[in-house]
Parts: sequence; structure tokens; C-alpha cells
Amino acid sequence: MSELYQALAQGLLIGSTYGLLALGMGLVYGVSGVVNFSHGDFISLGMFMCLALYSAFSLDPYVSVLITVPAMTAIGAVVYIFLIRPMVGHQFLMVVQLTLGLSLVLQNGILMIFGGQPARTPSVVESKLLILGDVVLQVPHVIAFGVSFVLAGGLYIMLRSTDFGRSIRAVHQNAHAAALMGINVGRVQVLTFALGIGILALAAALLLPGTPIQPTQGLRYTVITLLVVVLGGMTNFVGIMLGGLIIGIAEAFGTIYLAGVLGLLMPYIIFVAIMLFRPQGLTWKSRQ
Amino acid sequence: MLELENLVAGYGGVAVLRDVSIKLDAGEIVGLLGANNAGKTTLINCLSGMVAPISGRILFEGRDISRLSAQQRVEAGIVQVPEGRLVFPEMSVRENLLLGGINARARTHRPRQMDKVLELFPRLKERLSQHAGTLSGGEQQMLAIGRGLMAEAKLLMLDEPSLGLSPLFVQYIFEIIDKLPAEGLTVLLVEQNLMLTLRHAARCYVLERGQVAVEGAADVVMNDPRTRSAYLGL
Repeated sequence: MSELYQALAQGLLIGSTYGLLALGMGLVYGVSGVVNFSHGDFISLGMFMCLALYSAFSLDPYVSVLITVPAMTAIGAVVYIFLIRPMVGHQFLMVVQLTLGLSLVLQNGILMIFGGQPARTPSVVESKLLILGDVVLQVPHVIAFGVSFVLAGGLYIMLRSTDFGRSIRAVHQNAHAAALMGINVGRVQVLTFALGIGILALAAALLLPGTPIQPTQGLRYTVITLLVVVLGGMTNFVGIMLGGLIIGIAEAFGTIYLAGVLGLLMPYIIFVAIMLFRPQGLTWKSRQ
Repeated sequence: MLELENLVAGYGGVAVLRDVSIKLDAGEIVGLLGANNAGKTTLINCLSGMVAPISGRILFEGRDISRLSAQQRVEAGIVQVPEGRLVFPEMSVRENLLLGGINARARTHRPRQMDKVLELFPRLKERLSQHAGTLSGGEQQMLAIGRGLMAEAKLLMLDEPSLGLSPLFVQYIFEIIDKLPAEGLTVLLVEQNLMLTLRHAARCYVLERGQVAVEGAADVVMNDPRTRSAYLGL
């Protein structure tokens, strides 16, 4: 029984961060119609930046976010303006191709600089544990959970109650009408993408402690994020967070209860099962 | 306050508007008439900055605004209430109105403007937290116009406000349109409904295949045989 709670707890902890990752992708998709297939490689980039900052200045990942988040946000803006914006409105698959190319560039760039060996970035909290009854939780995961939820909550409030958030939702619902309100649609798209990448930098620092990293891991994160985004109905905030938790729990159950490769398949099996019976994902019509 | 000089505009290099010149004085309600595809929506999209002219000039309050972006046009006071309402369906009435006043000039007195708009449209006040997509056609039109008024327009351009509305709603909305010049607005009314427009606009232009076929005071335009032929293609 304690295994069940362990799996559940672990799943919720990691799932919240998956949800956060997917929110970034969902926002960008809603506003520009772009699915960024190099999503996971930006996470990788964030992680390796933390590694570099550790090697050079002995900075703990939780501290280097103060540098990596602004840096990656700026990189995101530049990437969007020069690489992605010229392609918006073109064939969807062409944009996908572009982001796949970007993925290769990022992966190989990291490979060239850091080499191919898995590396660890030490953190002060790395081996600390939190024990609740029968359940053993790793402190980095608990921190990731807390920060992810707080950030997701912050995003929710931003979208609901600020003018910037409303402009994002307006551009998503009807870009033409948004432009007629005097909203600078182009600027909203750049800022949303940059915000998404900034979130990835933060998530990278959250996921980093205790995890060995290597340049080719990007795809794994991209695929998980895609699962969560699609499960969440592409642009539904609550659906995406819920999807993150579900995928996280599926992954935890898989690794705890099933042996080897089968365990890693769990998220995909759950995903297919849900989509078969509910193709619209975890969305539902609002009650009003 | 608005002058279009020899405007040529279209899509993908194909001209829809061919040498159009119109002018509006402050406080007027001017009608822009014409059959489908005559170029009416293209013209107001040019004014809104959504379509770049191929040639010609747009002068607003004496300035050449031809180079201003869509955002800058709204800031300057040129506001469009688009055809088909285009309300944000998954946002509440209140949020739609807030978005109407999101431009820098309007934002400073948004709460006051919201009160004024809700007084003008009490039906919207009742449905403030309802999602705009669930409103009826007439209510959506009220919301779209309310949204336009939130922007503190100097020139309000209405594209087919009567489309798909019941006669009662049409009457209600046009009563409001009549009151707008008293609030300091100039109105450009784009309509297919000939008689309705001639009743509310002091002056009219009739577009036919991208050019001004008839222009003048409402009764003059009404009696001009070219107006009928512009509509019936005779």
C-alpha cells in the first residue's frame, strides 16, 4: 500500500513540473499556432547553463536561475523574432521542420561544448529527503512541486486579471479582432514565446538536482510535454495542469510497479487510452 | 477630419479599391453603401491599418496616417466595429469591454467609460459575467459597439451593424448610432441595407466595383438612378 502512496506522491510532484512545461508550449501554440519541437532542447539548454555556471562559479542551480531565466527569456525573444516569426502563417509542417532543425542545432551545440558524457550538477538539497509516514520524497522534487504550482498559479492570475494576460487570450481567440482593439499582436507573440522559454529555464533548474544530464535528452522532454499539451486540449489551462499530473502519475506508477521498458511506456499507454475515449482531451464546455 | 485621396488597395496585388476619394467632416454620420464585394470592408480595413494601400493617401485630422500601424490607428482614435461582431467568445462581456479600452489613451479612464457604456446598453450590464459567445446576435452587436466606444474613438467605423439582427434590435442600435455625434464622434456607417442607411446618414457614398459611383446628401443618393444600378448590377 505504501508503494501506492509513494507512486502517487512522486507522480504528483513531477507531474506539476510537466504541467508547467506544457503551459509554456500551450500558450505559444494558442497565440502563434506554433508547436515548438525544440521545447525539450531549451530545457536541456537551461540545464547545461546551470552546469556551466556551477563549473565556473560553483553556483547552486537554485541560484543560477537568477541568471538563466533572464538570459533564456532574451534568447527566446531573439529566436522568435529572427527564426520563427518569418514562418508564422506558413504551412504548419514547415514551422515544425524549423523547430526540429533548431532542436538539432541546440543538441549538437551543447554536445560540442560539453561533450557527450552524462554530467551531474550538485546542489545543496540534492540528497535531502522528506519523510511523510511511509512515503519518502526527495526534497528537490518537493521544491519543484511547490514552485511549479506557485508559478502556474501566477500564470493563471496573470492571464485572468492583467491586461497583458487578456491580450494573450484575445490574440488566441481572435487575432484580427485583437488587432482592431489596438493590441500589438506581433509583440504579444514575441513576449509569449519569450515567457515560455523563460519558464523552461526555471523548470530546468527545478528538474536538475539529482538528475544526470546529457545533450540528447531534449527529445524525451519534448515528447512528454507534447503528451501533456495534447491531453490538456492544447490550450486549456486547467486541462494542461491536470494532464501534467496524470502523465506524472502514470510515469511514477510505471517505474514503480512495472519492470524496465514497460514502465516507461505507461504514460503513452494512458495517453492513448484517454485520447481514444475523449479525443478533445481534458477539456469541457464552460458552464455559462 | 478624414480624407481618403485616390486610394488604391487590394489583396495580393489585385486592386479591390480603384482610385477612391472620400471625405468626412467631424460630427457627421456618413454612409458607405454598395453591393457585396464592392470594396466597403476593404476600405475600412485600410483605414484601420489592416490592409496596406497600394497607392493614395489617408489624412486624419490633417495628418497623413498612411504609414501608421494598426495599433497606432486605434491610438489615434480610428476604431472599427467589425462585420460579424467578432466578440471574444470565451471571455465575459466585462472582459470584452475591458479589452475595448486597452489602448493607452482609453485605458486611463476605462472604469468611467465602462459605466457610460453600460448605461447605454443596460442589457449588457445584466450579462456582465456571461461569456460573449453565448449572447444572442443582437446582444453581441451591442457588445461590439460598446467595445468600440470603450476605445474612445474619434472616428467610429461600423461594418454592417444590422446584419442578421431582428428589426427591433436594428432600431435600438440605430437609435444609439444617431446619438453618437452628440458625444463627439464621427461615424462611418458601412451597410448593405440601403433604406436604413439613407434614413440615418446625412451623406452617402455608393461604391461599385471599387470606385465611387454616387455621392452626396442622402435624398440625392436615394433618387439617383445610378444607385439602383450599382446595387442591381444593371
